[in-house]
Amino acid sequence: MGGHLRLLMQVAFRNLFTSKINLLIGGIIFFGTLLVVVGGALLDSMDDAMSRSIIGSVAGHLQVYSDESKDNLSLYGDWSGEPDLTVLDDFSRLKPVLEKHPNVKTVVPMGTSGAMITSGNTVDLTLARLRDLYKQRAQKGESPALREGIDSVKAHVQQMVALMEQQKDKSRELLSDAAVDPQETEALARARSDAFWNGFEQDPFGSLEFLENRIAPQLPDGDLLDLRYVGTDLDAFQKSFDRMEIVDGQRVPQGKRGMLMSKFFYENFLKLKSALRLDNIKQERDVNHKLIAEDPQLQRWVKENQTQTREILFQLDPIKARIATERLQKALGSQEASLEKLLSAFFTTTDENFDERYQRFYQDLAPLLELYRLRMGDPITITAFTRSGYVQSVNMRVYGTYQFKGLEKSAMAGLINLMDLMSFRDLYGYLTADRKAEIADLQKGSGLREVSRADAEESLFGEGSGNTLVADATPGLIEDSKPFEGGMGALRREDLAARVYSQDEIEKGVALSAAVILKDPEKLQQTLQELKQAGTDAGMKLRVVSWQTAAGFMGQFVLLAKMVLYFAVFIIFVVAIVIINNAMMMATLQRVREVGTMRAIGAQRSFVLSMVLVETVVLGLVFGAGGALLGSGIMAVLNSAGIPAGNEALYFFFSGPRLHPTLSAGNLLAAFVIVLVVSAISTLYPAFLATRVSPLQAMQTDE
Amino acid sequence: MNSGVAQSPIVSISQVTKDYTLGKVVVPALRGVDLQVHPGEFISIAGPSGSGKTTLLNLIGCVDTATAGVVRVAGQDTKQLSERQLTNLRLHTIGFIFQSFNLVSVLSVFQNVEFPLLLQRKLDKVQRRERVMQLLEQVGLAHHAKHRPNELSGGQRQRVAVARALVTRPQLVLADEPTANLDSVTGQNIIDLMKELNQKEGTTFIFSTHDAKVMNHANAVVRLADGKILDRLTPAEATRAMAAGAEAH
Ligand SMILES: Nc1ncnc2c1ncn2[C@@H]1O[C@H](COP(=O)(O)OP(=O)(O)O)[C@@H](O)[C@H]1O
Ligand SMILES: [Mg+2]
Repeated sequence: MGGHLRLLMQVAFRNLFTSKINLLIGGIIFFGTLLVVVGGALLDSMDDAMSRSIIGSVAGHLQVYSDESKDNLSLYGDWSGEPDLTVLDDFSRLKPVLEKHPNVKTVVPMGTSGAMITSGNTVDLTLARLRDLYKQRAQKGESPALREGIDSVKAHVQQMVALMEQQKDKSRELLSDAAVDPQETEALARARSDAFWNGFEQDPFGSLEFLENRIAPQLPDGDLLDLRYVGTDLDAFQKSFDRMEIVDGQRVPQGKRGMLMSKFFYENFLKLKSALRLDNIKQERDVNHKLIAEDPQLQRWVKENQTQTREILFQLDPIKARIATERLQKALGSQEASLEKLLSAFFTTTDENFDERYQRFYQDLAPLLELYRLRMGDPITITAFTRSGYVQSVNMRVYGTYQFKGLEKSAMAGLINLMDLMSFRDLYGYLTADRKAEIADLQKGSGLREVSRADAEESLFGEGSGNTLVADATPGLIEDSKPFEGGMGALRREDLAARVYSQDEIEKGVALSAAVILKDPEKLQQTLQELKQAGTDAGMKLRVVSWQTAAGFMGQFVLLAKMVLYFAVFIIFVVAIVIINNAMMMATLQRVREVGTMRAIGAQRSFVLSMVLVETVVLGLVFGAGGALLGSGIMAVLNSAGIPAGNEALYFFFSGPRLHPTLSAGNLLAAFVIVLVVSAISTLYPAFLATRVSPLQAMQTDE
Repeated sequence: MNSGVAQSPIVSISQVTKDYTLGKVVVPALRGVDLQVHPGEFISIAGPSGSGKTTLLNLIGCVDTATAGVVRVAGQDTKQLSERQLTNLRLHTIGFIFQSFNLVSVLSVFQNVEFPLLLQRKLDKVQRRERVMQLLEQVGLAHHAKHRPNELSGGQRQRVAVARALVTRPQLVLADEPTANLDSVTGQNIIDLMKELNQKEGTTFIFSTHDAKVMNHANAVVRLADGKILDRLTPAEATRAMAAGAEAH
């Protein structure tokens, strides 16, 4: 037996390098293995990174939600917007059911929703500040400090009006007279007149009203922003998702209402546009080595910075405007008096002066400006349509910004803002019957009167909170000029912002889903089934889905990418099988006389079969091992060097700026099995043909 | 050695016909052949090209079957045997020497000779080695054991083939025109070698040839023409008969 196999191996090895056909087949197997090893390892690593991104940001390993939901849960939103989910009435009932399972580490309540917010226009915001100061004066009387403040803001408003008129003049040159509303022109002229400002102090509130109603609307509105948020038990969230880290500001204190804004969102949507564009240009130049001279995108940004200076001009009151003018004159060595022209010249950046201008911007101009439209600790009002259709507003403080480690640059993870569960519930506007009764009891007990829905809205959406950002799904619905309803409403608002909620209160209430973090993620499928059963046993209709499913189109995207790749590998191997099969047929035909001779001198068909098979297996193993070796080498290099994500969209898939792919034993095993199967399949028919060779063919002398 | 008429024949052929069908044409290659070969004989099958020599040897060698008639080899009716049994019969009873040597090119001289022993699975490694070396000694190629066939001359290759045919100590060795691809001197040497082994080991040899000089070494010449056996002669008679035949034409 030993001699037998040794003979077969010897024939196989000797044939390996003597036949050109074998070299061809070997080459195919070599590259096939290389592909399976490298491609498989890359794909697995990417899948792994991707799953870490999804699991580590909001999904957790499993998501549990109501089985009565019309749509499927989709944490990253769906093509059609937010999915229609039925709420989990009481998270505190669900939690123990899930936590009973030995493989469950933590359960975090969640709800995903969104609101449109507008950053109010600058004139509005400045006028609001002025109104605030006059109100203070009316209450407390005038002080020198207050006087100085009022004068400064008044000068700022005057400056704005002047700028607006300048722009009006400019656009008049472009537009026909008919396109210009005479009433607007008239209002502007009045606001520019000395008479108006001289009479301002006699009727400050009347004058303010005129400016608010006739001047401010002439400015186009601020940006409409889509604010996506996840309402959650912030403490549990921070503990469970360890990739999350605070960047600016602080965590939301335990049990308090508040928001943590995504750093990505904060930078990209709330930063002064000119500064953001400078940042972007710098990033493209430094990281991606692009040049302003060559790249149209960079040129576009430079152009926008040159022309869109209004945002900066509006921010500067006369004193700051003067400082800025001086600094720019010095920096540019120019005598130009117009700040607008100076800014435009300053932002005329080239590859040569960019780094210097960038540094100068942050050093000289930034201290005079509000770089962000929202500061840490500022309150923000979010207004959303509740499930029952009415509009609900909630005030909350933005305590800080956060990011998921490794996903800093990912828009996918970066558009999720976090808020406390209580505020989320208010915005979602769904109260269970139990909860309603409970609230009524609480209010009676604490001596508070029931606040009517309308009153509550008004009191929640109070003015004078000094917010620089107004989030409002229905602009104009609530009139700013309406007298402020103090007393109870104010108390309640204060009460809400300052109140510390107990864990019980946080958990006793609705949630849309629950994220489940597992102790052993390997047992995900099993745990999924068991949790479903546990829900049924506890009389809850639950849908339990893996992170992959919960990620909605994101999860399907990975699956799709994998399918495409596996399909490509499949096609390559089908082609390989066809080629190897044909090559083996040729090889067999070439060896008909040899096989015939063996048959004549007493070799059985089975011997011939095993000879051909052993030969292919040896061929497969030798060249496969070569391919696997080279593949392992390539993976080792890639692992230490890392593959740069290049494009920011890839950060999410790479779970960071670089993917360090690893090669697992599984990849090698898969390559080994695939090579064996492919070579076996492709040899089956040639091997069969070889067994059909007749010993008579040994006698054929003609070749 | 002993012509053993008392012994049962190793090859017994009676009324054998063999037809080849080429499309719709039937080519009769053998037309009623009777032949008995006894152990230890050294028989030459002679005849012009196309007379049916190869066909006859293929039937005896169990690589082909007769259209009609009975072919018995080592007492067994080859018609009654399965493919496997025929292969086993070839492995254990018959040795083959081919016109174009038919060595396995990727194997060494030693491995080529060892090949049938490996198929037989009767001997262990040491025994095999001993047997192979003994045979290589006998054919005078002991020093070429590690060579590849393509490093040898035609005559040397055919010697290796002879060693391979005899290594299993078969009762019968068949050789279809073993000298056709060799020059006459080398051919003579091969026949001498076969004759020597026939005498020493008592192995039965049946070889075909159309060369009168080669026939001379046989102890009987079976003359074949048009698929029929003309006669069975001594070498001297055969030489004479063929000379006469040549004159007649
Ligand atoms: N495979 C075959 N198919 C058809 N005809 C064949 C085949 N082999 C031999 N023949 C024919 O049978 C006859 C005998 O051939 P063969 O036995 O090869 O003669 P020899 O070996 O004496 O030259 C010839 O007429 C030959 O053409
Ligand atoms: Mg012939």
